[in-house]
Amino acid sequence: MHDASCRTPRTPAWLSWFIGRLGYGLLTAWVISLVVFIATQALPSDPARVILGPDAPLQSVLTLQQQLGLDRPIIEQYLRWLGRALSGDLGISLDSNAPVAAILFARFGNTLALVAGVIALVVPTALAFGVALALRRDRRLDRWSLSLLIFLKATPGFLLAIGLVLLFSMPHMDLLPAVSILDPERSLFRQLQFLVLPVVALSLSALPYLTRLVRAAMIEALESDYVIAARLRGIPERRIVWRHTLPNALVPAIQGVALTLRILLGGTLLAEVIFSYPGIGTLLNAAIQMRDLPMIQASVLVITLSVVLINLLADLLTVLLTPKLRTAWRVTLIQRNRRGIQPWWRRSPKAP
Amino acid sequence: MSQEFSRRVFLGNSLAVGGGLLLGSSLLSGCDSGASAGVAGAVSTTPVRGGRLRVGIIDGDQAGNLDAHKPVGGGIIRGWALYSKFWEWNPDVSTRLALAEFAEPNADASAWTIRIKPGLEFHHGKSIGADDMLFSILRLTDPKLASPYTGLVGAIDRTALRKLDERTIEIRFKEGQSFFPLDETLISFGGIVPTDYDPVSNPVGAGPYRLKSFIPGQRSLYSRFENYYKPGQPYADELEILEFKDQVSRAAALRAGQIDVASGVQAEHSALLKADARLRLYVSPSTSFTGFNLNLAKEPFQDLRVRQAFRLLADRQELVDRGLNGFGRIANDLYSPQDPTYNHAIAQRPHDLEQARSLLRQAGQQDLRVELTTTPGAGVNAALVFAQQAKKAGVEIKVSQVDGSVFNGPQRESWLLSPGSTPARGFLASALHNDAPQAIYNRSNFHDERFTALYQQALAQPDLEQRKVLVHEAQRIQHERGGLLIWGFNDVLDAASIRVGGLVPEQTTFASWRFDDLWLNHA
Repeated sequence: MHDASCRTPRTPAWLSWFIGRLGYGLLTAWVISLVVFIATQALPSDPARVILGPDAPLQSVLTLQQQLGLDRPIIEQYLRWLGRALSGDLGISLDSNAPVAAILFARFGNTLALVAGVIALVVPTALAFGVALALRRDRRLDRWSLSLLIFLKATPGFLLAIGLVLLFSMPHMDLLPAVSILDPERSLFRQLQFLVLPVVALSLSALPYLTRLVRAAMIEALESDYVIAARLRGIPERRIVWRHTLPNALVPAIQGVALTLRILLGGTLLAEVIFSYPGIGTLLNAAIQMRDLPMIQASVLVITLSVVLINLLADLLTVLLTPKLRTAWRVTLIQRNRRGIQPWWRRSPKAP
Repeated sequence: MSQEFSRRVFLGNSLAVGGGLLLGSSLLSGCDSGASAGVAGAVSTTPVRGGRLRVGIIDGDQAGNLDAHKPVGGGIIRGWALYSKFWEWNPDVSTRLALAEFAEPNADASAWTIRIKPGLEFHHGKSIGADDMLFSILRLTDPKLASPYTGLVGAIDRTALRKLDERTIEIRFKEGQSFFPLDETLISFGGIVPTDYDPVSNPVGAGPYRLKSFIPGQRSLYSRFENYYKPGQPYADELEILEFKDQVSRAAALRAGQIDVASGVQAEHSALLKADARLRLYVSPSTSFTGFNLNLAKEPFQDLRVRQAFRLLADRQELVDRGLNGFGRIANDLYSPQDPTYNHAIAQRPHDLEQARSLLRQAGQQDLRVELTTTPGAGVNAALVFAQQAKKAGVEIKVSQVDGSVFNGPQRESWLLSPGSTPARGFLASALHNDAPQAIYNRSNFHDERFTALYQQALAQPDLEQRKVLVHEAQRIQHERGGLLIWGFNDVLDAASIRVGGLVPEQTTFASWRFDDLWLNHA
């Protein structure tokens, strides 16, 4: 596959395509930061008043507004924030007076751990389950499993989460901690018991989509011409499934995993509230309620950059896994492909 | 891990007490009888030293800070661990000396002399002197700090603060006025901090616990302060304050033994927590009031008859039963019933629909329509109940909800009808929150010449008997023509594991914040 004759002396087309996408990604992040800045200013009431609470005299509110620079024109406020953010200073939280970066990155790390746990659980399960169901298509196991998956999908996530708490952590059935209050003094790996319930709860919500995606892709691939040709040549079924079909079925799954990741980054909020897990979701939610502008800006920036990164990596993997795209000699050939790696503005809306 | 271990040991002991080899459901009942035996152990009033006391708090979405003088969100509760003041609250909402060994006003309360106990120390070893006392008061009242609580101590004259000797200062007030309730207003946010204090980089005070770590929105950890001014206190080695976003998950954490104390639980959870044999529910009959502000600056409440009609049509018992889930007592449109100056001679206003209707008819307001503006949350229930009651008297009340920041925004004194509440304080301090001439926010826009005169005289009257006469008359005025419809005093509910001692219900709102008194039977 990697013989030297395929390689041309100039850089491969996918690399310049990748650099172009990276640029677009960063542009997206910048536009979003601007939109969010304007949106937070459009929220009713001002941060100074929210922070100081109901008893604050007008004079204190005005003083704080001035100290926070909230009385300045919005463009000036934005440029000041952007300049500091570019130099690595995310500011001080209006709510707690503590540096935004320290709080944010600790919380983001927790969210990443949670997401990593979910992916580690969901991806192998969905792959194994999806392939198994595709091979037993329309049989009893397939039908029952599909119903179960649709049931899981239809059940609201918080219900699943509360159900898990009632099952595993109430008195007399005390297997797992009811709430995931992490001890910041210990490494996350030493308190994995706190991750179990949130990971399972989120996985149950994420599993149906991925499983059905893998199943559908496998069924499609199993019916394709090259599989029929392979069967006619008498290649063993096991080899057809694992060696020839699965790698092709993986490409849609990669986009599916990317979508799940994007949803999870913001969607862990649910598990965070129910399990009191200190992730980025509750942080952002609280920051919006408190009109904590530096915190909102920084959180949104981090989430946006992660989403951009996830998209990029998923697209890159797709390109590298698809021989036709990997060996394309012109960027436009990659851009015009049908593998669903167009930038978001060219994509047709797809329901998860 | 250690918590699970100790829980297991605890359950094991319970089983041993329960006596045994039982199966199935009888095993569970064995647990329960063991637990009640555990109660007997925990009830013993000898405090146990050591252990880590874990307290779960909820403060909405606000993470809050550590600032002694500008606490926001959970910062108020954390302040109880970090900082000490000249005074501290008694369980009956009066004050007693804490860091101070002497604190008295002069004859007309125009000057206060405060002397602290000798040999006091801050967390970082610096001894407390007059300079720190002055620094703390100057910082609290500094306009640049923009503390939300400056309004309460707005009377203090920053330029007239004087150091009398190394442990003594004198406080005077703007324009030479008198200000008797200094203790009640300075006590809450007047934490004494050293001159090198910084709320972020050096958050030290003289409170029972010193800070170890603070992660906003998550938790703060403290260790015992050995040189706390109360000898032998606090009891636990470590204190941990954990922040929750959700009442349900905190209740689950308490039941699962992941926290020891849940501070301020919802009435809705009381039955569940009460039913758990390993927990105890503490009901503090506080004198914090809940009621409505009738805006006297606007029609129709300019008419005294309409105000009286509103006060008569309120079925207070029903408001307490449904608005507070029964956790409260009815009120007589007056605040601070615990204050020794409270006028108990004023008869309780009855629920009288007939008289309410006739007063409205006299005022020409038979088909009155008014809007009640409230914030989403606990206050909505009471507002809806009140709207139903008003309907019976022919008054249509439209309850509209606005965001908290809008409610407290520039319009805050111009809502026609809005809920009002004030934590338990004495009469003079409560008035500063409500309808006093120098009130921070006078949502009812009550301005009465005679009341103002009486209030000012009371501010200058340290003598209890003479002040009583003044307050009695002031309260009669409030009861006759004031703008507050105070229908109830709400209970404050706390829940704790039976292993927690030193938690005693009181008339204040902060029984579970007295971290120097709480201890944990951690053995």
